[in-house]
Amino acid sequence: MTRYLLRQITLLFFTLLALSLFTFCLSYWFAGSAVTNSSGIFPDDPSYATIATARGFDGGYFGQYIAYLRHLFAGDWGRSLLDGAPVFEQLIVRFGASLEIMLLALLVAWFPGVAFGVLAALKPGRSVDNTILGMSISGYSIPVFWFAQLAILLVAVQWGLTPIAGQINPLFDIPAVTGSILIDIALAQPANPQAAYYSAFMHMILPVTVLAIMPMMLLIRLTRNSMLDVLNKNYIVSSYAKGMSTRRVLWSHALPNAMQQVIRQLSNLISLLIANTFILEVIFSWPGIGNWLVRSIYERDYPVIQGGLLIIGSLILVTHVLLNLFHAWRYPQVRKDLYAAP
Amino acid sequence: MLLDIRNLTIRTKTNIGTVNVLDKVNLQIHEGEIHTLVGESGSGKSLIARAIMGFLSERWDVTADRVWFEGKDLLSLSAAERRDIIGVDIAMIFQDAKSYLDPNLTIGEQLSEAVLDRDLDGSWWQRSKQRKERVISLLHRVGIKNHKAMMQSYAHELSEGAAQKIMIASAIAHRPKLLIADEPTSTMEPATRQQIYRLLAQFHARYGMSMLMISQDLGAIMPQTERISMIYSGQLMETGPAEPLLQKPYHPYTEALLNTSLYRQAESQPRTKLPTLPGVEPTLQHLPIGCRLGPRCPYAKPECIKTPKTLKLRDRMYACHHPVNLED
Repeated sequence: MTRYLLRQITLLFFTLLALSLFTFCLSYWFAGSAVTNSSGIFPDDPSYATIATARGFDGGYFGQYIAYLRHLFAGDWGRSLLDGAPVFEQLIVRFGASLEIMLLALLVAWFPGVAFGVLAALKPGRSVDNTILGMSISGYSIPVFWFAQLAILLVAVQWGLTPIAGQINPLFDIPAVTGSILIDIALAQPANPQAAYYSAFMHMILPVTVLAIMPMMLLIRLTRNSMLDVLNKNYIVSSYAKGMSTRRVLWSHALPNAMQQVIRQLSNLISLLIANTFILEVIFSWPGIGNWLVRSIYERDYPVIQGGLLIIGSLILVTHVLLNLFHAWRYPQVRKDLYAAP
Repeated sequence: MLLDIRNLTIRTKTNIGTVNVLDKVNLQIHEGEIHTLVGESGSGKSLIARAIMGFLSERWDVTADRVWFEGKDLLSLSAAERRDIIGVDIAMIFQDAKSYLDPNLTIGEQLSEAVLDRDLDGSWWQRSKQRKERVISLLHRVGIKNHKAMMQSYAHELSEGAAQKIMIASAIAHRPKLLIADEPTSTMEPATRQQIYRLLAQFHARYGMSMLMISQDLGAIMPQTERISMIYSGQLMETGPAEPLLQKPYHPYTEALLNTSLYRQAESQPRTKLPTLPGVEPTLQHLPIGCRLGPRCPYAKPECIKTPKTLKLRDRMYACHHPVNLED
């Protein structure tokens, strides 16, 4: 396991390095001055010359890259070309907001997804299975942006059950510290926390539900297929031969083994979830990374694009590696294949 | 009589309609008897074992005059009643034991599943301690001395023989009255096979349990076998005590199988054809009517298109219109 851990972390390190090299190159590939593109300081700014020196632009490319990395680690990711706001501080807050609905949607998707998948696998070819599969395929085929607008029209506008957009009623005046609204409410300690939580919750329902649908449908199909596969395995037969009840066999043998294949596919699912989160943030005016990044792309706000790319790429890579590590830690026969390699 | 199976018929649907995969098979196992069921692959041996254990899915239509275990009809039990018997009084071990172990649980965890809660008492930590002691004693009983390392290892770290020993340990956890062994040694080298046979014979002697051994090779059956049943393409051909059956088979199929086994081949003349049955075993879609051996049988006559009655001769039974070796 240690060897596998080291290998994964080394791989992660080099991939992150390559990613940072790519974002560094973007400063040159974008139109305009590379100094402005990476720092967000315009050439007519009095501090332009000192910034260019600090970022190594009077030396070679290698020195520039090293200076770029040093600035990255120091938390100086440049300033937005639009409003001069420091990119890193903004990113942290928006990252929290994005992560919040992402994790909640994953949580909402996980339990029904797995439960329906198992249910379908237990009666393959029956009406239960067909209903669940039909539901999952139609749910998966609905484009998320269309579904989100439909949900807003119906639930928020027609029925007036939930607010249309935003994170919380602005009258509560919760300062964004972590970006995650639930944590921010706890930190801000408003006069009426119940009402604040209620407002945040109502704002959250629609985006989280819409976001959860596609991963849930994918999870249903993944779980069903791997469960069907596992239920035909010999160790299921031998568990019954021990006199175990169906419930115990499912719980202690079938489900853990079925989850192995699901976890292997989970990083793809999370990549999909991240992409959908960004689309939904624009629709629901959720102050997350995606919302900001889309705006920055329209406005050619290069430092923001660079920072956003870096943080999204890192997020996907890190979740991938973490899932790999969890997979190898939880499922020992996976490690065997890895050790066999010289 | 421990296990009494009369006219067990198992049907399944194929593309040409419903087919009797198993055709009126009779099988009796007495207390403390080692009974070996011999047949080629696809002849329905494993199907009998799975029908006894209740493993067959709804695709298989199982009917029988009786499948009695100690007077209880196994086919009409509810799932809960069945669990009182399966795993306790009837246990089963399998071919390719490694694939019957969960790859993601340690051997210790899997063996402790075989220890039932009702055999333990006290608080939960006392119970878990007893459970562990049980597992260790089970491992010792199958001849695994290094129980600590074994309990922490995973299925992929074991050899085929060790995995089969684990399966045996889990099977004998409740001193079953009947142990079904579905080709437990067919993928093993001869030395390991003898080890497993010795272990099984040891438990047979110690606990007096009956065993239903399933094998596809007459030359590699358990040496302690008392009775042998021959099955071909879902029909029972011959049953009898091991020694006389191997010396003087009544059924042409038994005779043919014996001729193909190695020690008979050594007697055949050089440069002659090896004595085998012509043709291959029929597929489910092309089962012959009457005696299913008919098309391949060297003694077949026109009346073989009628299914022969099972005839009894002293302690042997055979189903054939033209038995061999019956002159005396």
